[in-house]
Amino acid sequence: MADNTRTNTLQRLLRLWGLYARMDLLWMLRDGRQFAIYALSDLITNIGSVTAVLLLAARFAGIGPWNEWQVVFLLGYAMVVNASMNMLFQYNVLHISRRIGRGQMDHTLIQPQPLWMALVTEGFMPVSGSAMLWPGLGLLIWALVRLQMTVTIGWLAAAALNLAASALVMLSFSFIWGSLAFWAPRAAEEISSAAVDLVSQLKGFPLDALGPVLLGGLLTVLPVGFVAWYPARCLLGLEARPWAVLVTPLAALLFAVLAAFVFWRGMKHYANVGSQRYSAFGHRS
Amino acid sequence: MSAASYIGDNPLFLLTYLLHLVRVAVLLALWRLILAGRGEVSGMTLPVVLTYTLVSEAFYEPLHGRTSLADALWNGTIVTRLLHPVGTFAEFTAEALGRWGFTFCVFSLPLLLLAPLFGVSPLPASPQAGGLFVLSLALAIAVGVAIDINLGAAMTALEINRWAVEQVREALTVVLSGALVPLALLPWGLGDVFGWLPFAAMASAPLRIYTGTGAPGLLLALQAGWALALWPLAHWLWRANREKLVTHGG
Repeated sequence: MADNTRTNTLQRLLRLWGLYARMDLLWMLRDGRQFAIYALSDLITNIGSVTAVLLLAARFAGIGPWNEWQVVFLLGYAMVVNASMNMLFQYNVLHISRRIGRGQMDHTLIQPQPLWMALVTEGFMPVSGSAMLWPGLGLLIWALVRLQMTVTIGWLAAAALNLAASALVMLSFSFIWGSLAFWAPRAAEEISSAAVDLVSQLKGFPLDALGPVLLGGLLTVLPVGFVAWYPARCLLGLEARPWAVLVTPLAALLFAVLAAFVFWRGMKHYANVGSQRYSAFGHRS
Repeated sequence: MSAASYIGDNPLFLLTYLLHLVRVAVLLALWRLILAGRGEVSGMTLPVVLTYTLVSEAFYEPLHGRTSLADALWNGTIVTRLLHPVGTFAEFTAEALGRWGFTFCVFSLPLLLLAPLFGVSPLPASPQAGGLFVLSLALAIAVGVAIDINLGAAMTALEINRWAVEQVREALTVVLSGALVPLALLPWGLGDVFGWLPFAAMASAPLRIYTGTGAPGLLLALQAGWALALWPLAHWLWRANREKLVTHGG
């Protein structure tokens, strides 16, 4: 019975992902001109997002203890994490405070499916959201070749595990902060944006020179360090401790549990007070 | 009104500034990591770069020159804006100045006062540099807002998605304006080229004047030149394209 339910859930997830992927593809192909504009703007945006750090690394032959190619690896890793967010959690799933603060959770709650399933599938945009994936993977491969690293099956598994964990940290971080919008819908409507922007801006920087207090903060309260810096250090062998490669996945687990708890508390509050953001004629205050 | 729209229903709006403060701390640490023990690099020492970075972050909003025009075009409120009995550009500029003024009081001023705690001098290179910075900042705002309006007109004319335009602008500004990385510290002489572009007039010019790392006369002349070139273009583009405005709300 339980196996049957699990199979049905998996089938439904796959069907929904397939549906959203198809709609995303159709959206991208419906207008050649718009597609070209999106592709060009994505290209410029992606190049721009890493150029400043790359140029600095080129000018100073690296940044601190990181040589040029290690910096390239760090940037590639950060871009792939960002790409996974863009591909899996669009439509304000990553920016969850917008949905909550705007009173749009009702749109999801009235659907005939569990809330978690809606949040896991609704933001799936594998085509239009993949613009960062290819340059990110390109940078990773380029760096690995130049660093002459030996890539084993074990290393690839560790890389995949850490990439998934970094993405989960970023999502959990946004949900933890974004859940504040349950209690302060208007003031915290954009809190997820501020949190995600901060991570996006800082994720590509080596954080080695930060003092213990700030670095501790960036691995706990604002876990920017787990989005790229720490896992990249581990994968590049800059962390001597062999178990270091498991730190980011463990951190991701903790952040996910905390995010689920905070979100659940917020939903309980929301069940009592609802949202007052919309006027009777549909305008948002 | 700008202040009220920021504060809203809860002091949680302060978190945005707290997150910005973290960004400042990380950037300062990064420069210390890069320039430690290097002495003077392209005419800039570590203390100068730290001051440059701190002032750049303190004046983040005016140095980016972004008004809410793109928002209004996206969510449809441009329709009511056009009915207001004031100039459209003047209204958007005034609104932006109000928002920046609020940020200046809540974030910039405390940051500048607390700068010694970060080990950074917030003072300009000289009293004269401080005075010229104010003039240069005004010109930087003029150039930034003109670019913003030109992009708004382009969005309208070409029916380009707002997010695409914003992303491209942000990507170009980060690299070309010198707000994040001083142009002098870019490799292969790129800074010498970028310094002539309008984006440099938005941030690099006032920051170089403040830190005494550029010739004020030339920098101010360049800024004035770009402002004089971009404003008539903005007016012409807007006049030529506002009838094409299509908005569906957001």
